[in-house]
Amino acid sequence: MAKSSKRSSNSGGSSTHSKKKKKNKKSGPEGVAMKMKANSNKNNGGAGSNPFESIWSRRKFDVLGQKRKGEARRMGLARSLAIQKRNNTLLKEYQQSAKSSLFVDKRIGENDHALDEFGKAILRSQRERQLNLKLSKKSKYHLSDGEEDDFDGIDSLGRDDFEEEMLPDDVDAESHEKLDLVRSSLRIPGEINAVDREENVRPVVLSLLGHKTKKEVMEEIITKSKFYRAQKARDKEENEHLVEELDKDFTSLVHSEALLSLTEPNKMKALKALVNSNEQSNKDPIPASHTMENTLQDKPDDYDKLVKQMGLEMRARPSDRTKAPEEIAQEEKDRLEQLEEERQKRMVAAEDSSDEDSDDSEKPSEQKSRSISGDDLGDSFSVNEQIMTKKGWVDEILERKDEEDSVSEDDDDDDENSDDSGSSEDAEESNGGLEDDEKNLSLKDWEQSDDDDDFGADLEDGNEDDSDEDRETAVEDLDEVEGLDVAVHKRTSTHKKTKGDNSVKSLKRDKDSSNGKIDFGGRQSKESDIPYIIQAPNTFEELCSLVDKCSNSNIILIINRIRKSNPITLAAENRKKMQVFYGILLQFFAVLANKKPLNVELLNLLVKPLMEMSMEIPYFAAICARRRIESTRKQFIESIKKSENSAWPSSKTLCLLRLWSMIFPCSDFRHPVMTPVILLMCEYLMHCPIISGRDIAIGSFLCSMLLSVFRQSRKFCPEAIMFLRTSLLATIESKHISDEDSQLYHLMELKALKPLLCIHETVNEISPLNFFDIIDMPEHSSFFTSDGFRASVLAVVVETLKGYVKVFEGLSSFPEIFLPILRLLNEIEEQKNMPNALRDKIKDVAELIKLKVDEHHTLRRPLQMRKQKPVPIKLLNPKFEENYVKGRDYDPDRERAEMRKLKKQLKREAKGAARELRKDNYFLLDVKEKEKSLQKKDRAEKYGRAKAFLQEQENAFKSGQLGKGRKRRR
Amino acid sequence: MTRPFGVKGRKRKHGQPKYDAAEEEHQQPPPKKAVVEEKEEPEPEPEPETASAEEDELSGIPIAPSEKDSNKPNVIFILEKASLEVAKVGKTYQLLNSDDHANFLRKNNKNPGDYRPDITHQSLLSILDSPLNKAGRLRTVYIRTEKGVLIEVKPFVRIPRTFKRFAGVMLELLQKLSISAVGKREKLLRTIKNPVTQYLPVNSRKIGLSYSSEKLVDMDDYVSTISSNVDLVFVVGAMAHGKIETDYTEDYIAISGYPLSAAYCITRITGALERKWKIL
Repeated sequence: MAKSSKRSSNSGGSSTHSKKKKKNKKSGPEGVAMKMKANSNKNNGGAGSNPFESIWSRRKFDVLGQKRKGEARRMGLARSLAIQKRNNTLLKEYQQSAKSSLFVDKRIGENDHALDEFGKAILRSQRERQLNLKLSKKSKYHLSDGEEDDFDGIDSLGRDDFEEEMLPDDVDAESHEKLDLVRSSLRIPGEINAVDREENVRPVVLSLLGHKTKKEVMEEIITKSKFYRAQKARDKEENEHLVEELDKDFTSLVHSEALLSLTEPNKMKALKALVNSNEQSNKDPIPASHTMENTLQDKPDDYDKLVKQMGLEMRARPSDRTKAPEEIAQEEKDRLEQLEEERQKRMVAAEDSSDEDSDDSEKPSEQKSRSISGDDLGDSFSVNEQIMTKKGWVDEILERKDEEDSVSEDDDDDDENSDDSGSSEDAEESNGGLEDDEKNLSLKDWEQSDDDDDFGADLEDGNEDDSDEDRETAVEDLDEVEGLDVAVHKRTSTHKKTKGDNSVKSLKRDKDSSNGKIDFGGRQSKESDIPYIIQAPNTFEELCSLVDKCSNSNIILIINRIRKSNPITLAAENRKKMQVFYGILLQFFAVLANKKPLNVELLNLLVKPLMEMSMEIPYFAAICARRRIESTRKQFIESIKKSENSAWPSSKTLCLLRLWSMIFPCSDFRHPVMTPVILLMCEYLMHCPIISGRDIAIGSFLCSMLLSVFRQSRKFCPEAIMFLRTSLLATIESKHISDEDSQLYHLMELKALKPLLCIHETVNEISPLNFFDIIDMPEHSSFFTSDGFRASVLAVVVETLKGYVKVFEGLSSFPEIFLPILRLLNEIEEQKNMPNALRDKIKDVAELIKLKVDEHHTLRRPLQMRKQKPVPIKLLNPKFEENYVKGRDYDPDRERAEMRKLKKQLKREAKGAARELRKDNYFLLDVKEKEKSLQKKDRAEKYGRAKAFLQEQENAFKSGQLGKGRKRRR
Repeated sequence: MTRPFGVKGRKRKHGQPKYDAAEEEHQQPPPKKAVVEEKEEPEPEPEPETASAEEDELSGIPIAPSEKDSNKPNVIFILEKASLEVAKVGKTYQLLNSDDHANFLRKNNKNPGDYRPDITHQSLLSILDSPLNKAGRLRTVYIRTEKGVLIEVKPFVRIPRTFKRFAGVMLELLQKLSISAVGKREKLLRTIKNPVTQYLPVNSRKIGLSYSSEKLVDMDDYVSTISSNVDLVFVVGAMAHGKIETDYTEDYIAISGYPLSAAYCITRITGALERKWKIL
């Protein structure tokens, strides 16, 4: 205590000094400062003016705007202060350490250094007086213990002044506070409840404000009530205003379109009438409002009624749940089963009834039932049965309606076929038309693989769009159509010319429909004989027997029914059945494709179920395809060895290849089926010797098939290009194959051909080829040597070439691939017998090639030495903080930062303590030294004195004056 | 009482990465990635991998030989009289600049025009962004502030592109006396003891640049006359007014008839050197 207070007083003094000092330092010269300091030191107590105390610490860096407090210090002064402090404490302790008792100063006021002598004296006198007072009051004989009430007295003295007056003051303050609280609570506006509250509160207030005058209270109440009244009025006004606005909005709403569309017209009228009446009433609002209020209580408002009606009126109906594929399959099967049952029943019933149609046969039965029911109670079995059937019929119609609504693509035609509702020719025709549409479309797909992706969509669209046209054009001549059918093959090459396609399509459709119509005569009775539920055949013979002598559409119908009666989604064993059936169907397809007069139509129809089924059983379909491909390749190798007969693929193989390329994705990089298919096709193109025009035709068909495959995958197919080139070469008579060309194709030899395609005479028109016709034709037919055939084959080749050019335009080796062909084309173009249309086509392709080649050439860059990019030195980002503050720890881990901070503090403290201890030691050492030296001095002095005495004595002894006394004695 | 070097268990991570996220189009992978890579030491650098991949692609074509000599002459830049000064403005310490602290400076009887740390920023950017530096021919940059603080800048530091960030870095540098890399202990910027001459290589040519010099030279010619095995030291003033006064420069040249900004002057120098040393 003592040292701290002393130091504080001292430091206070020093701070004043330092302020002075600073000023001096800044303004005056050094000497003046020194003098000043000397003076101040003297004033301070004159404890030995140490010149070092006057030296200030130097500031190292002058930072603008920085006011530092601790920086400028007087090191010497601090040191002397520290010594002084130790003098007061440590020294004293040291001095006491050897002592067994301690002197405690308990004089009044002696411990308080703030007091001066006078203050102490006052305190002491006060104390004395008090003691006297106490003594006199209580008992004169009571002797105080002294220590007990030493300080109590003082305390009570201090306390006496306040205690009594404190209490009332406190109460006052509290009451004031409460009042404030109450007032603030009362100030909350806008609440009607507040009135009640106020009443509740008032007594409290009153009780609280006991000393408030009555007048004030009354005034308060009055003001409050006024306030609430005003507020009520204002609320009412606002309400009215709101109602008006609402009315306005409502009228505008009624006149708007939105409401009109939602409500029925007659209600709209009512609404409008209501609004008008409102408007009128608005004109004279005061009476109207009165009447309104009256009527409101009496009966429900028109408006309310309207609102309720409107609420009931327009409601969205829940739609049917979308069905799972299993459910659909199940339904389908059920329906077929039901139909089958009915058919069986009809078969039985038809025996007793006349030879009328099934439709007609129902009517009489109905009539019968009616005649009976007139008397009967309606509980006889027979009647029941009739009713049941009747119900079934009605249900069926309803069902059909539903199905028509939810356009279920291919089921539709089945329905219509099986319903037998309209046995008249027109209905049949329309059915046929529909089916033919499908055929058509599948045919289209067959020929153009572009549409593979949107197959389903096309189907649907086709069904809807074309049915009308078909009905119109259904009745047409057969002869007219037949000739135009040739267009098929041409379409393989002219993919883009949609216009031509359309016309061909429509014509084909006509043909098909007419075919269907012709067949009807023989078929009509048959169609109804087809059972609805057909078990899947297990062998090929079974299928053949099933399908035997059926028309095309009926075969498809049979197949579809087989599929529907054995849906995979319903039972596991159906999968096996369907797999067997798929194999058989594929065989059927193959056999059909091998027949000499090709049944193209049926083939086309078969494609669709085959595709759908292979989608259902993809794995099995792939296995089937692979097997077939393997066997085909074996056959091919065999036939190539025997060189006499042509090794070119048969129509069966071609059809199968096409089928697979439609079923499986062509764009896959590697596909278990498509890759071997492509390889097989390429092999055909490579290895089969080209002997006749037919070979070229087949080859070009293969080429176009490959094109359709590669259009998506954009893989390079040298075999097709080579074939096209050789076929182009065949048009030129002079057969020279330049060296450079063969160099480029050094892996494949260019086969020199007879000028199979050389056009000798002028051909006027190029007729498009029908591939199936060509396939059907015998190998040595004269058609293959005709110039017309040659021209059309050439056209096809050129078209295919164009397709390849477009597909391969991205290849960087494009110029090398197509430049020789370009030369060939130019040569061919200059031939004199070339028809003009063909010449244009060739020119077109040649130009296209030239354009692309030029493009590629311009893009090519010369070969250069590869340069290594110079590697730049790696740069490092500096780590810094956005708002850096010196001394702050920027560790994101707060705990660690805190820890570090504490550690730092601990270290600092430890260091400080060590320093202090060291200094204490020095100090004590100093003191001890001083003591020791003092002791030494003392001792030396004593020693000297003794010695001096002794010397004196000796001297006296020696000098013979040894004691006067002795002398005297002697 | 410094910490032992490798003792720390976990590397201290930066709280929020304060590097320039805004513009790093053309430079190296982002530093965060760099941190990861550096942690897994044995992993080789990604660049040789990509190079090898390229080789596979074009295996037939030979690679042009690349010359890499470590004992090529280097260049050192000294920015004299840079005005980097920290002051306590309000309650925080800030790097003084003429825009933000004009009033403060006027209050303290200073000329706001003299406080131009942006000059230093620009010059540093133009030095460190030069192909000369990218090619590894810059040894160091020294900055001597008006107050006499000497700062060493490593050539591979990526100086913040915005001035505000630069100011942040400099502020921290002047208070902490060093700036380390993100995710590394390596010091990128640090204050060092004067004089600067003790850091300059022995065999070096020290060239001061000033508009006030009588010796007006074409930089290309001048550079070509210098023998190629001598390190070059260019002393450029990074101040708004006045000229550099150094006693260690051997030559004192002007490279334009017009007074140039420090950044442009540096661009000229680096350009000339790049042409001389065939750095593209």
